[in-house]
Amino acid sequence: MGWMPPSLRVTGSPRKALSNRQAGQGGAIVRNMTVISGRPARRVDRVAAFGAVVALAGCLLVPFAEFRANRIVSGAPEPLSSAGTAGWLLLALAVAAFGLSVAFRPAWRGRGILILGAGLVALMPWALGFAAVSLLIGAGSPARVSIGSGAWLVMLGGAIIWFAGARGLGRSRLKPVLAVAVIGLWVSSAVFGGVPELSLAREYAVQSTRFWGLVREHLMLSGLGLAFGTLIGVPLGALASRNNLVRSATLSVVGVIQTVPSLALLGLLVFPLAAVGLPGIGTLPATIALTLYALLPIVRNTYVGLAGVDEGALDAGRGMGMSKAQLLLRVEAPLALPLVLEGVRAAAVLVIGIAAVTAFVGAGGLGILVFQGWGQQADDLTLLGALPMVALALFADLAIRGVASVAVSPGIRQEEVAR
Amino acid sequence: MIRLDNVVKRYGDTTAVDGVSFEVPTGEVCVLIGPSGCGKTTTLRMINRLIEPSGGTIEVDGRDIMSARPEELRRHIGYVIQSVGLFPHLTVADNIATVPRLLGWKDERIKPRIGELLELVGLDPDEYAGKYPRQLSGGEAQRIGVARALAADPPVLLMDEPFGAVDPLNRGHLQGEFARIQRELKKTVIFVTHDVDEAIRLADRIALMRDGRLQQYDTPEALLDHPANKFVHDFMGADRALKRLGRVLVGDAMRTDIEVARILDAGDIDRDACGDARFVYLVDGNGLLRGWVDCHDLDEGRSIDDAVTEIDWREASVAPDISLKDALSTMIGLGFRSIPVTESGTLVGSITLSSIEATMTSSDSHITQLSGETLSSEEPS
Amino acid sequence: MSAPAHMSSRGWWPTALVILGGFAFAWLIMQQDLWASVLGQLFPGARSPVYPVPLVDLTLQHLALVGISSGLTILVGIPLGIWVTRASGRDFRDIVAAGVDFGQTFPPIAVLAIMMPILGFGLRPAVVALFLYGLFPVVSNTVAGLEAVPEALKDAARGMGMKRLQILGRVELPLAARIIMAGVRTSVIVNIGTATVAAAVGAGGLGDPIIGGIQVQNLAYVLEGALVAALLAILADMTLARAEELVTPRGLG
Repeated sequence: MGWMPPSLRVTGSPRKALSNRQAGQGGAIVRNMTVISGRPARRVDRVAAFGAVVALAGCLLVPFAEFRANRIVSGAPEPLSSAGTAGWLLLALAVAAFGLSVAFRPAWRGRGILILGAGLVALMPWALGFAAVSLLIGAGSPARVSIGSGAWLVMLGGAIIWFAGARGLGRSRLKPVLAVAVIGLWVSSAVFGGVPELSLAREYAVQSTRFWGLVREHLMLSGLGLAFGTLIGVPLGALASRNNLVRSATLSVVGVIQTVPSLALLGLLVFPLAAVGLPGIGTLPATIALTLYALLPIVRNTYVGLAGVDEGALDAGRGMGMSKAQLLLRVEAPLALPLVLEGVRAAAVLVIGIAAVTAFVGAGGLGILVFQGWGQQADDLTLLGALPMVALALFADLAIRGVASVAVSPGIRQEEVAR
Repeated sequence: MIRLDNVVKRYGDTTAVDGVSFEVPTGEVCVLIGPSGCGKTTTLRMINRLIEPSGGTIEVDGRDIMSARPEELRRHIGYVIQSVGLFPHLTVADNIATVPRLLGWKDERIKPRIGELLELVGLDPDEYAGKYPRQLSGGEAQRIGVARALAADPPVLLMDEPFGAVDPLNRGHLQGEFARIQRELKKTVIFVTHDVDEAIRLADRIALMRDGRLQQYDTPEALLDHPANKFVHDFMGADRALKRLGRVLVGDAMRTDIEVARILDAGDIDRDACGDARFVYLVDGNGLLRGWVDCHDLDEGRSIDDAVTEIDWREASVAPDISLKDALSTMIGLGFRSIPVTESGTLVGSITLSSIEATMTSSDSHITQLSGETLSSEEPS
Repeated sequence: MSAPAHMSSRGWWPTALVILGGFAFAWLIMQQDLWASVLGQLFPGARSPVYPVPLVDLTLQHLALVGISSGLTILVGIPLGIWVTRASGRDFRDIVAAGVDFGQTFPPIAVLAIMMPILGFGLRPAVVALFLYGLFPVVSNTVAGLEAVPEALKDAARGMGMKRLQILGRVELPLAARIIMAGVRTSVIVNIGTATVAAAVGAGGLGDPIIGGIQVQNLAYVLEGALVAALLAILADMTLARAEELVTPRGLG
């Protein structure tokens, strides 16, 4: 009755007008998306192809292994063919990976590349073992066969191909299965394959009792440095976040220490220690130096972590009646934890590396093997020190990342960047 | 009840808050408003002693705030801020449980309380309790912020521009939700904003500040109709009649005795519904608004397709819990002289330009406040 | 155009200070006789208080080692970092990022040690090892710096009609310069430190007197080498810190 015309202006159906507008927006979005993902899908898996080229170069261009009459003399290059069937298998895998990544595109290409890469990595120690066994036939007992640059390249190429395959697959049950298989093949090559005949293994057999003692020493030195660094660094970082004076003083001092070459710092530490009657050589200066180096990443990350806590969360916490201690414990500490742990991780990796240098001042550790190896020009001894050092650093890295993935609240966890 | 008596805050030589006195009766919403730097936020933060007053006294429910430890005081005052400040490392449930835990509540008391509060702010407890703040939208986060502030059932609530960072559409919804919750809980609220419309919509009383001094403290109507000085007059704005519409809800002003045509099963509509009207709304069997019918076209024997205009209720209708001002704005935007009122799509009434006009010219006594009882404004036919 | 606070970090005097420090350092390492007399007084028991090779030569050896390897690092690392953030190299972005991440957990000495069997003794493996190890922070920071440039800015540049190279040169690189330079700084400082250890494989440099001194139990050698190596590293750090500020566009202060 009292009806007004609903519209004096709208002609036609408003729905039609609206849907037109939405279509317009939809079109714009689609256009944007083509800009973002504008690359056409590549026919060639260039990463896998690159890995295959690296592996092929390792197979064909450089010596796969080296034969030496004894431990010290430099080696004679030995080609892939010295590994016999296993060597040809490696070559076949590399060629297949190249073909699959460049020429063919079957539906199972991603899986194929993944398997070929893992296969190259898994077979490498077997091939080296076979090479060692066959080359040592008839040679005298001091003769040794060591890993050639070709074997390293095959490993590297295999790892790249593996990575390329894994990246293209997304979530797949094949990945963990392959990882376990590769580990299994590596371990079994040490038991059933010729790996114990390799010069590195022979060196280990000679040094085995001393070796584990040095590993323990290395771990102890790094552990002490990291522990003291954390115990001092975290409170220092927390203080720095409260007080500008402490912050600028601490960060610059710790920064300068970090700059000084580790060997120079160890050399310089001798004098103040001697002045107060303490030994300038051995575990004490090593621990002091490692602690000092561990400080920078820990202090800086603690500071940045605490300083970066959202002002709104702090205001809300205070406004709800948290005391300073409650605010620190319940809000600031958990929010800064990811960065603090990242600092501890970086410090651990750093300290494991620098612990090697402390061997110069008589503190022991795996550095001893490296430096003795250099002194005697015995490459195997050097590698026996260096490779476990790398393993320790990688293990510490993984272990602390693992701790972080459990200890950090899922609400603030950084999503794992696609690897 | 909150009472401020000659409260002063000085920073060195500058005086941020200068002799402010007012009293907020229990269960009322006092909105502190003024240009930026006027001291409104400082005043608010002195009440829970996030800022210590330099002079004067503040009483909350008859107790001087200086008589207790600040932490103790704050645990009994709800606090909501613009940046929400949810703890990102805690779930929604743990965020809400913060103050109850500080107060030492037992878990068996906290758990049901969380569900209760989530329902109060209109979120499904099963869905939201386990979420982390980063999984929430801005509007959802602020609802949780309000729930967290209410967790230990504090008699007093301090809100510092709580809806300032939310987009305008969501802000309207949140204001409506807040008004509903406040009707239910009757807290004593001090609410800081710089948005005059928000103040008019939500306040029982407005305290308008400038340069640290209180300019006027009264009901929104009084500030609109009897400004104490030119500053108040200018700050409240020239469109005072329009602003007053901000205090009337669509649901209170709409006509409910409207004619509708139904869609019949046969794909036809009941043509008899037209009667004398030129236009009637069209609803389906479930009462959902589908469009309108031009009765004139039907009378002239045109086809139903020609006579019916389809509309989408999401775009071309208003909800009963928004203000008349917002409804008017929607109508102008669409070019409508009359707009249907729907609740989740169901047609419940309509608002016409003439009914709005009537509200604007009617005397103050006819205007309902948000927190008051419903009063329908009859449209002269 | 800039605020006073801006001026202080931008002014000429920090640069002058760095240059002055450079001259002071150069003067210091040329005073072979001064070192001999001071160290002689500090260590009266030492047979010869200064290392037989003059400090200038040791320092120059050290600088050459670091200069060549870091130079190569920059020449390869920055273009590599740029390439993997372009359309043509994006396929390799993930593997490069993962490899760089992985490489940075390697102890620098281990890299040196692993190079040895492959490349033999002396300067060559040292240069290659320092080059490789130095690559990690440079590539990692180049990628991070370029990826930190807001998409909106690149979009605006595209919208104004800039070509890809112009966007890179005028928008992306200037904005990423500070982060890239920070990577170069980290890389060079680590290299200076690792280069001291490289003395043990016959690469020479300031590590020689330290290692030699420890071996023949002559603490005067140790002090000489350690002091100069530390000063060199600190000076280099100051210089590169200054460079970091200078490559930062003014607006980003």
